[in-house]
Amino acid sequence: MQRSAQLRITSHFGAERKLTLNKSTFTIGRKAENDLQLLHDTVSRQHAEIQFDGESFFLVDVGSKRGTFVNGQRVQRIALQHLDKILIGGDEDQQIQFLDETVSSASAIFDSHSHLNLTQALSDRMRLISANDELQKLSRYVEVNQAFKFSMTPDDVLCLIVDAAIEITQADRGFLMLRNIEGNLEFKVARDRDRNWLVGNDFEMSRSVVEEAFRANHSIVIGNQTADLRESVRDLDLRSIACIPLRSFQMTENMDTTTVFKRDVIGVLYVDSHVLRGALTETSLRLLESLAFEATKSLESVRLMHEEQEKKILEVELGTARQVQVALSPTIFNHPAFFEVAAASVPSRHLGGDFYDLLVREDGTYIFVLGDVSGKGIPAALLAAMSQGALQAQFLGGEQGLEPIITSLNRVLVQKSASGRFLTLFCASLDEGNNFTFVNAGHNPPLLVRLNGDVEYLTTKSILLGAFDFASYKELTTQLAPGDVVVMYTDGVTEAVNSANEMFGDERLEELIVKIRDCSADQIQNTILDEVSSFTGDLPQSDDITLITLKLRAHSAG
Amino acid sequence: MEINLRESGEITIIDLNGNLTIGRSEESLRESITKLISEGRNKLIINLGNVPTIDSSGIGAMIKSYNAVKQSGGQVKILNPSRLARQLLSITGLLSILDTFDDETQALKSF
Repeated sequence: MQRSAQLRITSHFGAERKLTLNKSTFTIGRKAENDLQLLHDTVSRQHAEIQFDGESFFLVDVGSKRGTFVNGQRVQRIALQHLDKILIGGDEDQQIQFLDETVSSASAIFDSHSHLNLTQALSDRMRLISANDELQKLSRYVEVNQAFKFSMTPDDVLCLIVDAAIEITQADRGFLMLRNIEGNLEFKVARDRDRNWLVGNDFEMSRSVVEEAFRANHSIVIGNQTADLRESVRDLDLRSIACIPLRSFQMTENMDTTTVFKRDVIGVLYVDSHVLRGALTETSLRLLESLAFEATKSLESVRLMHEEQEKKILEVELGTARQVQVALSPTIFNHPAFFEVAAASVPSRHLGGDFYDLLVREDGTYIFVLGDVSGKGIPAALLAAMSQGALQAQFLGGEQGLEPIITSLNRVLVQKSASGRFLTLFCASLDEGNNFTFVNAGHNPPLLVRLNGDVEYLTTKSILLGAFDFASYKELTTQLAPGDVVVMYTDGVTEAVNSANEMFGDERLEELIVKIRDCSADQIQNTILDEVSSFTGDLPQSDDITLITLKLRAHSAG
Repeated sequence: MEINLRESGEITIIDLNGNLTIGRSEESLRESITKLISEGRNKLIINLGNVPTIDSSGIGAMIKSYNAVKQSGGQVKILNPSRLARQLLSITGLLSILDTFDDETQALKSF
């Protein structure tokens, strides 16, 4: 006698499905490739197999973490008996029962004979099946939703979506296509109802249905009721088709911004059958659409999660790179004869775009550079490093003045910075005659506090760098005198926020510097950093804080 | 941030409502302006009257918008910047490039 057997899987709220054990090795596990996929987190990716040797069905644990159980006993390899209860790992949500068809069909014949009214029994049964079908679909849908919460790869998610769609619609085949960069649809998943991958790049399917769903952004269902006259559908002898657009969407979570939905079509989900297995009901169509919606949402979050992980690694690396960069900022003129200088950069938790540099040119002039690239993260840090490098090369490798150097840096940045980032920069040179020449390209004006307490803001009203290729930059020169203090800073100082949501602000900074102008450059700098830090209290520092403090030494007795 | 569009002849007034800061809001502004330009509407007034805070990304969005509009042969003007916004525009040097108005009628007349 031909042996055949099934698994009956009953979910915790009663939905039931049956899988025929129609191959020599039937696999069970958490991965989508398995013949029976279970999504419980106690189920290993490849958990167990049911092997058929021509005589008996053996349940074999293939090295699972949490074990395989039959009727409550942990098993390694066991011949299955009719009505054996199987537990995979700790997945008690699904009751799995082994049904030996040779036994059960015999008892079914016996059962039906015991009924007096066979017809009545059958029609009852049909109604039950139909209701159970819907429940089963719903159960599958819920199951898929739960699966999305696991950390799966985008490919896993896509595969799961197609399998679920095939199951919900009882279709023969399912395809998932996503839009590529050129805007064309590309096959991502092609599966049949037995969960086999279909091979190839071109499948016989109704292109016109796919195109319409994709371009017009609506679901299309073709069954027996709709007399669709599409040639492709007739030619291919397809009896039912469902095609659902996949839509991406984004939502802002800020309190002060409205929720924005994006409804671009990013692909389609397509299932079809050569035979009509009952028209698609309203419920299944709705389920299919919900599935597509949840799927895209999950796909997006899975994608973001993976990106986030990669980004974190990159940020760590770049963070190290920036520490090196900061460490490399030269301290060679810590103690020049006529001035003292202190410089510090306190990076925020996010990777920011502040940088500074102190250089000595061949002609003996000193260069002070303080810049802030807009935005945060890797692009900002890269642009900061690039700008610092370009300036170093220009100042150390040539004799050009500030104006041409800054003007050419602007042109480089306009060309390189496609993402709309820009740089605000304060750049100055100081010679032995105390001439302080500077260009301020859109940067917070540094404070010049004179020995007598007068305050000047150093600005040239020049536009920030990297925005307009036509911009040109003019320098100004001011004469410094012994005892004068110049504090160059980035907006991380003045825009530091306290718990009352107040900013540290220019005025507070000005008052502070005037008060401590007699201190050394180091002391002034440390006092500013301390004051900002005690102002913000426990709040995390939201932006890089960078300072250069320059102080001309008072006339020495000699 | 909300973006509402009003038309006055061939001029479009973009009323912003909310903070113009890093993330969705500055992206929305850039998207709206790209769309307007593609529709051939490139005489634009950005109304900042209901924008309490602008950060550097918001400034970036305005620069991109300015460049895109200019490239299409149009013009963009700024209306009613807050004190803080005006200060930011001033520090960054943008006041020298962006025409700024405190009165809508004046802004409309300036095209």
